[in-house]
This record gives sequence, structure tokens and C-alpha cells, in this order.
Amino acid sequence: MRIRCPHCGERALDEFTYLGDASVTRPDPTSPDAAGEFYAYAYERRNIAGPTQELWYHQAGCHSWLVVTRDTRTHEISDVKLAEDVASKRIKSTAGAA
Amino acid sequence: MSDPQNEAALKRNGLTISKREDVAVTHVALRRGMQAELEKRASAALGVSLPATARVAEASGKLVVWAGPEQWLIIEPRSTGKDPSVDLAEALKGAASIIDVSDSRVIFRVEGQKATEVLAPSMAIDFHDQVFKRGDVAITHASHLGVMVWRLPDGSGYEFACARTYAVAFSEWLADACGKLTRPA
Repeated sequence: MRIRCPHCGERALDEFTYLGDASVTRPDPTSPDAAGEFYAYAYERRNIAGPTQELWYHQAGCHSWLVVTRDTRTHEISDVKLAEDVASKRIKSTAGAA
Repeated sequence: MSDPQNEAALKRNGLTISKREDVAVTHVALRRGMQAELEKRASAALGVSLPATARVAEASGKLVVWAGPEQWLIIEPRSTGKDPSVDLAEALKGAASIIDVSDSRVIFRVEGQKATEVLAPSMAIDFHDQVFKRGDVAITHASHLGVMVWRLPDGSGYEFACARTYAVAFSEWLADACGKLTRPA
């Protein structure tokens, strides 16, 4: 498996470190059901057969955090974005909804 | 390689491997929200724009090397006594964080016609001259040692920057890699 880093281009897997699911967002610790939400955030994960969003860190390269869209059945990678771009987009969309 | 620290220049497969102790290395990191300001002041101070992608830029004896997003290394001949990071820190004050990393990074150079052919099998990046062009930079690893490598703009070979802690290990790896058997001419 090779990942195309937006900064560095295509690199071998040994340059990257896997963190986990990129589709979950950290709950608000001040919400009334914070304990329940954090339980779900930490433990209730789906084991998807198909396209997933994952966080990868380009440890041996440019040190960027990446959001990689990977199909767990084929390992095909359909999209790689910088995690900071994904996060700032997410912040904007929640700010717009509020 | 008996003592890589004291070996001036090694020859392997017609390649010359040398350690550049004649240069000062300065690390420049953008401060948040100061991109336009840094671009303007860095161009004035260095005489060349900071490369936004994995490239090097040349300016009157200086080499400006992309060192990851919003970071650069400035490599220039060491002048007598004066630390070039001081002037740069003054010129870029408030727009970037400047650190003299001359003691923390070591620059190695490999020159020779066969440089690409010999190095390509030793590292996991694509060294093809249509992919890794003159002036291109890669931050990667060589046998687990973190390195930056760039193809010299004049096409004469490559330079590597590695942490000084790993300089001995890296130079031994480099000598070994450059000494690998090549196809008979």
C-alpha cells in the first residue's frame, strides 16, 4: 500500500503511522450527556467493510496529519486530504449550522 | 570507512562523497497568519522566493530548501565569525521563527555521473529524472535514518541533510550505498 501525501507525493507505507478513525469528532465535554458521548466516542466504533476515513501521520516525511479514504476490502485509496483542511472545514460547517 | 568525521572526500564507483562543514544552516518556520508578510520580507532578504512546494531555490550562493509545510532550511557558506541566522532573524522578525541549526544538521554531498543509478536502489523514493527533477526535495528516510535529499539544481548530484546525531551512521550508510555494484559499462 502506498499513500499519496499532498505535500510529498506517493510514498511507501513505512513512512506513515496509523492513528484511527477520522470520521468521529471529539464530543463537547460541557454537554449534559458528556460521559455517554465520550463512551461512544472512545469505544463504539464500527467495523466497516468498504470505504473508511482514517487518520495517518507522515512520520518519516513532512510530519503532516492526513485523512485517508481507504476501502477496507481492497485497500484502494480514493482520497487523501490534509487533516488541518478537513478540520477547518468541519469547524466552519458546525459554526454555520449553529 | 575508518573515521567518517575526518575523511575529507571518499570515492566510490566514480562518485565523490563529501561532508560540507563549510556551510551555515538556518531553519525558518512561518508564524501563524504571517504568510504574506514572510513571503515579502524573505524575498527581499534572500533575493529569492521561499519555495511553497518540495523544491530548492538558489540565490547568490545561498540555497533555500523546502523543509516541510511552512518550513525552510537556508544553507550558505559560513563567513568568518558571523552567524547568518542573526541577520535573518532581524529581517524576518515577527513573521518567522529563526533557529541556527548548523550544529544540529549535517549536509552531505554526492557528486558524479552515476549518482542516480547508484542511489536509486538504496532508497524508497523514485529517483527517475522525470519524477525527481533537478531542484526537487524529498523528506524521507534512508534505512530508518530520517533525511532530506535534494537533486542539485545544476544536475551534478545530490545533497542530504541529516541530524548530526546520526551523521556517522548515515555517512557509513551513504558510503555503503554508493559502493554498491553497478552494471558493467
